[in-house]
Amino acid sequence: MRWFQGVLVAVLGLTCIAQVKQKGEEKEAATSPQQTIQQSTAPSAQQPPLASPSRFREEQKLRTAPQFVLNGPEVKRSVERFVAWAGATHIEEAETVRKSIANVKENREIATALCDYAFESAKVDHARTLVSLALLGEMRHPAGQECLRRFVHLPFPEKGTIVDGEIIEQTNLAMLQAKAVDGLAYLHDPKADEEVLWAASKHPSRVVRAEAIDAYLWNHGDSAQAREQLARVVRPDEKIFLDRIRRVQGENAESFNRKLDGYLKSHPDRLPPKPEQQAKKVTKRPQTMDRAAQERLAQDRVAQPVKPTEPPAQ
Amino acid sequence: MKKKSGLIVLMLLTLLGTGFSQNCAQTRASQADSDLWNTHGCWNAFFLWQYQAYDLRSGDWNNRGWDDACNMDKEYPKHWNASYLVTYGLQDNNQFSFHGTVDYRGTSERWGNNYHDSIYHAPVDNNGIFGQFVTHIFGSNEVDTSCPLYDPNVAPNANPASRGGDFMHEGWHAWMDKYNWNNGSCGGHRCGPTGNCSTTNCDYFYFHGIGAYAFGAMWENNGSASRFHSPNQVQVEYLCDVADYPQPWVPASVRLAARADANQRAAQRFINGPGYSCGNPRPW
Repeated sequence: MRWFQGVLVAVLGLTCIAQVKQKGEEKEAATSPQQTIQQSTAPSAQQPPLASPSRFREEQKLRTAPQFVLNGPEVKRSVERFVAWAGATHIEEAETVRKSIANVKENREIATALCDYAFESAKVDHARTLVSLALLGEMRHPAGQECLRRFVHLPFPEKGTIVDGEIIEQTNLAMLQAKAVDGLAYLHDPKADEEVLWAASKHPSRVVRAEAIDAYLWNHGDSAQAREQLARVVRPDEKIFLDRIRRVQGENAESFNRKLDGYLKSHPDRLPPKPEQQAKKVTKRPQTMDRAAQERLAQDRVAQPVKPTEPPAQ
Repeated sequence: MKKKSGLIVLMLLTLLGTGFSQNCAQTRASQADSDLWNTHGCWNAFFLWQYQAYDLRSGDWNNRGWDDACNMDKEYPKHWNASYLVTYGLQDNNQFSFHGTVDYRGTSERWGNNYHDSIYHAPVDNNGIFGQFVTHIFGSNEVDTSCPLYDPNVAPNANPASRGGDFMHEGWHAWMDKYNWNNGSCGGHRCGPTGNCSTTNCDYFYFHGIGAYAFGAMWENNGSASRFHSPNQVQVEYLCDVADYPQPWVPASVRLAARADANQRAAQRFINGPGYSCGNPRPW
């Protein structure tokens, strides 16, 4: 096996040398003062330049809400078109979306198609699924209720890809199930509320439990009675979620800050400890460098723009 | 996540890894990415500024849309799409926003400033991380972003709000590096699960009111917990500002994704959590 190890070391060594050289050349090309960034390394596109986004957006605002097809085989496609449109809407169009949904709130076929689309999208497009679930929740149709209940009970994955310490398939599903819980709570229906209380206490994800608590409270006007109901079921170590600060649109600084002060006074255990300073780091750019290092550093500094530049005006 | 460079072996392994690994899949964009994209229609004046403002280098972004900057399926266009949101997407409302565009731009752009020493942005092909901050002895430090922020088949974070959120997270590791703060030994975080943090990379939430930081002052600290930020906190506050106080043209899909990410992170990542909850839970 010794010959094999020798060959392996040689191959790895040669590869490293080649790559170090290549990286060096790339860096040289990118930082050489003779070749300005604009001339040598600017990205490029294969389409003609656009005048400005503000004008582009003005043209887009002319689009109107797509109409739902109320029955038949075209319902599915009309729902998909509506989801695509709704996802792109601006804040000022929120009421238009709500009204469009309210206009079809009795339509089982549309609710079912929205439900199917949410399930279909769940593994391929997180944002599209959020939009579909949000519309279904806003619709408040009994078929939607059943669908949201099924969604919240989708089996929670126990294994998957670990990204930064979390199983990403769990986080993905939990965020979607949290949105489904929002829809259940918004129904203001005793059966749906039971599901929300179940989610607040027994759902395997803390993300869903936290959202269920928040949604239940909000949909019951943050009443003392709702708090009591929740307090009876939530996990003892998660009672803090009953007092969690919610930042909502339109709430001014004074109101938010008052709530925050109250929260920290009632829960002094939530105050973080003093941050830790670490030992003074080694000087980032040591004075005792060889000529090659000095050269690299000089080139790098030349490549930095003297001053930050401002982005183009829209 | 924070990484220290310097070990030659590690550097060699990294170089080898870069050489042999495949790029992340670049076959499509999420609805949130394409909805945001359709608000600017591929504005070339912006990406010609952005690559300099984020110090993107052609060698790093080749085969990722560098020469196809209007193809939103590719990583480089997705990177500048997220920058577009950071640069123009917030209301900067003194009465409501946690921080201002000046703070978020200062954290994510390249230039050495009050927020960090100079940085450059590069892509890495690693499904195990969202991003990382790497210090270098010579030249700028490095902010890497990875597949889960680009490929919608891999993670829910493949949307412009979460990608920008990661610019803030990694940028805040750069802030900690600049001012010598020790945020823990697990990739620049406290090791978890611990306290109310259910993942392995945990932070503290340094609660502060609205208006506690003037716009442009997010970098300030007073050496105590009363005026300080952690990487996950800056990320949550950025996502909250996108979700609740964006410019009117920011699409609904981006706002929904921002809120969902902010709230899951606030519920899971803080030892003294939960952090604030963003937005009301009305479905639409």
